[in-house]
Amino acid sequence: MGDTEVLTTLKILIIGESSVGKSSLLLRFTDDTFDPEQAATIGVDFKVKTLQVDGNRAKLAIWDTAGQERFRTLTPSYYRGAQGAILVYDVTNRASFQKLDVWLNELETFSTKHDLIKMLVGNKIDQENREVSKEDGLKFARKHHMLFIEASAKTREGVQCAFEELVEKIIQTPGLWETSNRGVDISQGGQAASACQGYCAVI
Amino acid sequence: MLRSKRKSKSPYARPNAHPALRALNPATTATQTQAGPSRPTQAAVQFVSTQPQNQEHQLPVDDPTTSEQTAVPLPSIAPSIPLSTSGPNTTVWIIAIYTPFYIALYTLKLCMLKETLHTTSILFGLDVQFFSRKQTPMAADEDADVFEITDFTTASDWERYVARLEEVLHEWKLVNSNPLPPAPRGSLSTGKWHEKKESISFADFSFLVTYKYLERDDIQKSGEESRPSPDDESEEKESSEEALPTVMADMMSLDNDFPSKSHCLSRWFGLQEFVVITPSQSSAAIESESRIKILLSSVSIALNNTGSPVPVFIQIQQYWRQMFSGACVLPGSSIDFDVIHLKTAPPQYSHLSGLLDVFKAKMATQVMPRPTVMVAVRFTYILTEWHNSTWPQEPPDFSSPMEDEVGCSDFGNLPFGASEDPVSEMQLACTWPSLSEDMIVENQNYSDLDPMQAPQWAVRIIMTEDPNCLLGKYLSEFLKISHRKETVEDLLWNLLSKEDDDQTGDISQALQKLTEPKVAKMYNIPSLSNVVHSASSRLAIKPGQAPINGDTLTTLLEFLFPDAKPVSEKTDKDESETESDKPSTKYSSIIEDLSKHLKSAPDDSLLHNLVTALVMVNMHHGGIRGVAQLWQEFVLEMRYRWENKFLISGINPGSPNLGTCLLYQKLQMLNCCIERKIKREQLYKGYTGQSLEEQKDSDSEEAVSSQLTTSDSEPCAASEEEQSKESGSSGTTATVSKESTDRLQQSRKEQQKQTSRKEKEGIPAKRPHLDSSSDDDDEFFECEDEDKEKDEEEENEEDGEEEEEEDNEEDEEMEVETIKAKETTTPEGEEVSMEVSGTSSSSYMDSITHKPEGRLAKSGDLKLLNSEEPLYIPITQDPSPMTEDMLEEHAEVLARLGTSSEGAQLRARMQSACLVSDMESFKAANPGCTIEDFVRWYSPRDWIEEDESTKENPIGHLSTRMQIPGNIWSEAWQSAKPVPARRQKRLFDDTKEAEKVLHFLSAMKPADVVVHLLPLLLHSSIVNIISNEDSDVPKVKEMIEHLISKSSMVTRTPHQHVRRYEDLVKLITLTETLIARATSLKAKFPSSLVESSSGKEEVEKFISDLLHINEVPINGGPTGPVGNMIHKLFVAAQRDLHMVMDDEENKEETSSNTVPDFPRPSAREYILRTAAPRPAPYSKSLPHKMTCSIIEGHEFRLAGAFASDTIFQ
Repeated sequence: MGDTEVLTTLKILIIGESSVGKSSLLLRFTDDTFDPEQAATIGVDFKVKTLQVDGNRAKLAIWDTAGQERFRTLTPSYYRGAQGAILVYDVTNRASFQKLDVWLNELETFSTKHDLIKMLVGNKIDQENREVSKEDGLKFARKHHMLFIEASAKTREGVQCAFEELVEKIIQTPGLWETSNRGVDISQGGQAASACQGYCAVI
Repeated sequence: MLRSKRKSKSPYARPNAHPALRALNPATTATQTQAGPSRPTQAAVQFVSTQPQNQEHQLPVDDPTTSEQTAVPLPSIAPSIPLSTSGPNTTVWIIAIYTPFYIALYTLKLCMLKETLHTTSILFGLDVQFFSRKQTPMAADEDADVFEITDFTTASDWERYVARLEEVLHEWKLVNSNPLPPAPRGSLSTGKWHEKKESISFADFSFLVTYKYLERDDIQKSGEESRPSPDDESEEKESSEEALPTVMADMMSLDNDFPSKSHCLSRWFGLQEFVVITPSQSSAAIESESRIKILLSSVSIALNNTGSPVPVFIQIQQYWRQMFSGACVLPGSSIDFDVIHLKTAPPQYSHLSGLLDVFKAKMATQVMPRPTVMVAVRFTYILTEWHNSTWPQEPPDFSSPMEDEVGCSDFGNLPFGASEDPVSEMQLACTWPSLSEDMIVENQNYSDLDPMQAPQWAVRIIMTEDPNCLLGKYLSEFLKISHRKETVEDLLWNLLSKEDDDQTGDISQALQKLTEPKVAKMYNIPSLSNVVHSASSRLAIKPGQAPINGDTLTTLLEFLFPDAKPVSEKTDKDESETESDKPSTKYSSIIEDLSKHLKSAPDDSLLHNLVTALVMVNMHHGGIRGVAQLWQEFVLEMRYRWENKFLISGINPGSPNLGTCLLYQKLQMLNCCIERKIKREQLYKGYTGQSLEEQKDSDSEEAVSSQLTTSDSEPCAASEEEQSKESGSSGTTATVSKESTDRLQQSRKEQQKQTSRKEKEGIPAKRPHLDSSSDDDDEFFECEDEDKEKDEEEENEEDGEEEEEEDNEEDEEMEVETIKAKETTTPEGEEVSMEVSGTSSSSYMDSITHKPEGRLAKSGDLKLLNSEEPLYIPITQDPSPMTEDMLEEHAEVLARLGTSSEGAQLRARMQSACLVSDMESFKAANPGCTIEDFVRWYSPRDWIEEDESTKENPIGHLSTRMQIPGNIWSEAWQSAKPVPARRQKRLFDDTKEAEKVLHFLSAMKPADVVVHLLPLLLHSSIVNIISNEDSDVPKVKEMIEHLISKSSMVTRTPHQHVRRYEDLVKLITLTETLIARATSLKAKFPSSLVESSSGKEEVEKFISDLLHINEVPINGGPTGPVGNMIHKLFVAAQRDLHMVMDDEENKEETSSNTVPDFPRPSAREYILRTAAPRPAPYSKSLPHKMTCSIIEGHEFRLAGAFASDTIFQ
């Protein structure tokens, strides 16, 4: 598997309010670790991981952004050319959910690819004091044509699945990404049949 | 293996010592009797052809038990010629071919084959057909024990050739296919043709076998079935037997009589599928009669053996003559195809009655009464003189820029349209689709065929190959520059080098020489701008030598920078512009959307004007050198504007819009820099306005800081401003060639006055502030506390010290200033810095003591945690604007740090400048604040309020992540000093960025300029096309949409390829040609010639059809509105023609005095077809067809297809 050539490099953004767990999600996905004392991101951070989806190897360049409002003058510059965006909110914090509209707007304004795939992730479902129900999340995702999943960076629930689903969707979207001049046949049939057993909902 | 496979279906058999042969097929009885005498001996070799229909009756060839072995031969058909048996061991093969022009009889001995001897006699007899004759197998009454060998070996070249041909036919599955219905109407020209190719060779002579066939959408599925493999059930075969074979159906179909565009074979014979064998080298034409016959024989053998119903042709004679000879073998019949080609028509055959005679003679049927011949006729008339319209209708304007009588608009508009008439001639085809020979008479003296009586009319337009479309020409010329390698200096070297010893007596220039270098040395010794200056100063050249002369250049520059024009002129211009620039209403929405679709620049931007000007200059003012010169002037103007703080007009304000092209972003960036520079200077003016003393103070302070930090700060920049202002009008502008710029300068000065007046009145330049709605310019004034000067001094020095540690890149421009400052203030500075280093460890302490400054607004009703003071949001520095390439670079740098934790740490640090700056501003605005206060403003979610917290008495703590010891936030907080944004190190160094942009611009080669301007070029061209498009032709609209979507894709790809643009330019040219054609056609078929409104509509549709349909049928023929109009056109043309040549008319048209409405037809085509029994009166009635085309003075051609019964003959 390690020898198979990388099909394409995809740029993925992670955005959302501060301290909803963007960096933790990323760390869980790339390094499979969780640090409760994850420092607040300054500006943007960056991680790389290769992922095998549907027999295609994709290299993911994942840009993690700072959620603080003040950084918003800085971070959107890095939205350029992203094929996928993960919008994160904290299920234990209603405000972080309500701000999603702002983030979507931001994405509309600054992303250069208009058909980029958006995924909504409700993080921190391991915690007791939930303020946003799954139905709310689903509703929002449906309204804005996004993928939706709830996850926990701490218990790793749904994290892997979220990234896989997003990448798969990107690869299935024609014209969104470019191969390194190799024609690749993408099977459209097995859309639901990935390794994922989570709650991914294509809306 | 191949041979054995084929054994059952098409034995290529040589039954040796055949015991008994008897044909079961009743059709062969006649044959048998005939063939009886020629009994072969054991060595007899035969070509046995088995036809699929007969297969079931056939006994296995190699069945030794059967006494009666059948191999059904092709029934012999030569009633008139007795079979000659040339020897006991030979099979005679006779071919009789009738060719009208070669009446000769040959006997040719050919092919001495391996063990046996074949003699092939080729006879050219009077017989009307070509047929292949197989010696019929006969019943041999030899001993029954003679075994049988089936020999399929191919020994000779000829055998191999035939076998290969058969193989190819099998490969293409052309055997045993079921007949197709005739091709639908018009599909021969509109349908999609496919072809398969294979090369085969006869000895060392190679041929190309091509199978051409029409794609049949209508019977796609059934078509598959209709070509069953031979193993299919017999039922299907039976049903197919009833249908007319494809070839015959096609021949007799009236639907495709005169296809507008198709292969000549399908035109003549109406075929939808055929095989052509051509020599693979065009030089090797098959000319000798014997070779032609051998090839035809081979074809017949192969067709007989395979049972393929597809007609096969051999191209003979030279290619251009388009001569073919062909054969088709069908069950029970065969068809011969032959073509005659002559340069001029023999007078006796140049009309219908003569042709009918030929046809009947060739058919040579003896039946009485003679079957009626059906005739289809088409006459084509050509119109080249258009009476009512001349081209060009409006001469394109390109002559005026040549003569230098340029108004600005000439540079602003790309040319459009064709310079030649794109329509060269019209061909009117009048068709009589189906007539009986008895109904019409056409002979030497009389003709019934009046075009006005023809039931069908169709028009074909012949377009000029290359109508010389201006836009396309200009664009492709411009694109060519992108392949040039020269730099601007390379191109203008002779202009540059001459300057050094060029001492013109111009006094003003002499003065410039005195002042300029000095000034330059004062403030930017080694900087880039200096280099550019010295280079550019040399551009002040003798006007006569430059590609663009002075006047033109002035006009050009005024056109590009209308704001620099004298006011009086400007108003006039504006009015005229608003009038002329009305976009066409129909496409206005498309034009609006265009800047969204394309990654170019907003409409009417400076760059659009620049690109059109460059295109024009390229064509009319010195080509690439002119382009280089104009670009150089443009770059100089940009520099001038930067140095003298004029915003670049025609560029949208704000940070670079990433949806535009890079060059536009760069200019936006430059504009941002200029804006900031203005703002900085304004700020400085605010200080100077207070008192001279203060100014002095602050001057020295700043000098200290700048000395320590070697960073540039406001006063320095300001003084630089002043210097450049003084020198600007004389020094820097000397760079721009004087003639052209004198006026510009004047008007600039005026403008400068205006702007400074505005500044004094406190009207700030409008600019967005990302953080708050309030205008920061005003804020800066507000927060200037009168008594803060002392504090400021202290802090400033701290600040300076702090920044020294960071020691960033030095700004060379500041060097002079710094040196100056050093002399005066160094002792003080050192003192202070020592003092500061003592206190820096306890920075919290002094943050309480300082006076607040740089406050923007209260943050709600939040209060500081440690005091009763409200929490103020500080004024912060704006984020740095970035262009796309900077962003990319930056992102790459960040990405290159890798994904390790160190990398992440480093990344965070790299990006913390903004955070630190905000912290410093916050500290300055909120004396006595803590990091908790900062977090409450900056990252509220990291401040966790406890339950007992109230508004008055907030209790809470930082989130755990903020409390991690040594995290970057608290570190930054520790290091941050209370400094208001105004006095911080600039996050955005406008001087540096502006220089970078200017360097980028000046380093571009003309080729780079072209590449960078390509998106704009596309944009302008599309707008141009759209505004010139006034025809409602759907095809044009389609093209434009296609063009836009393609352009959108090309301009958005990250790497710009000139090649892709070249393709687009081709597309643009195509569109332009199409529009030019439409315009031309509209002029040629003016709707004024039509009375009724419905007729007008019809004319419009007709024109639209002409553009994309090869041949447009005319509704209602000569009586319809369009037909009526065309008639008028011909009449007018005829009258014009005959008025000039009156004598000639009298000579030729002795019978009538009146001028005929139509000229003599340029081409006449006749299709004669009939069904008649052939060759014998008792034969089956079979179709025959002959196509005749007589092109006046060019060629005379007959193409005949005559079928003959191969059973009853």
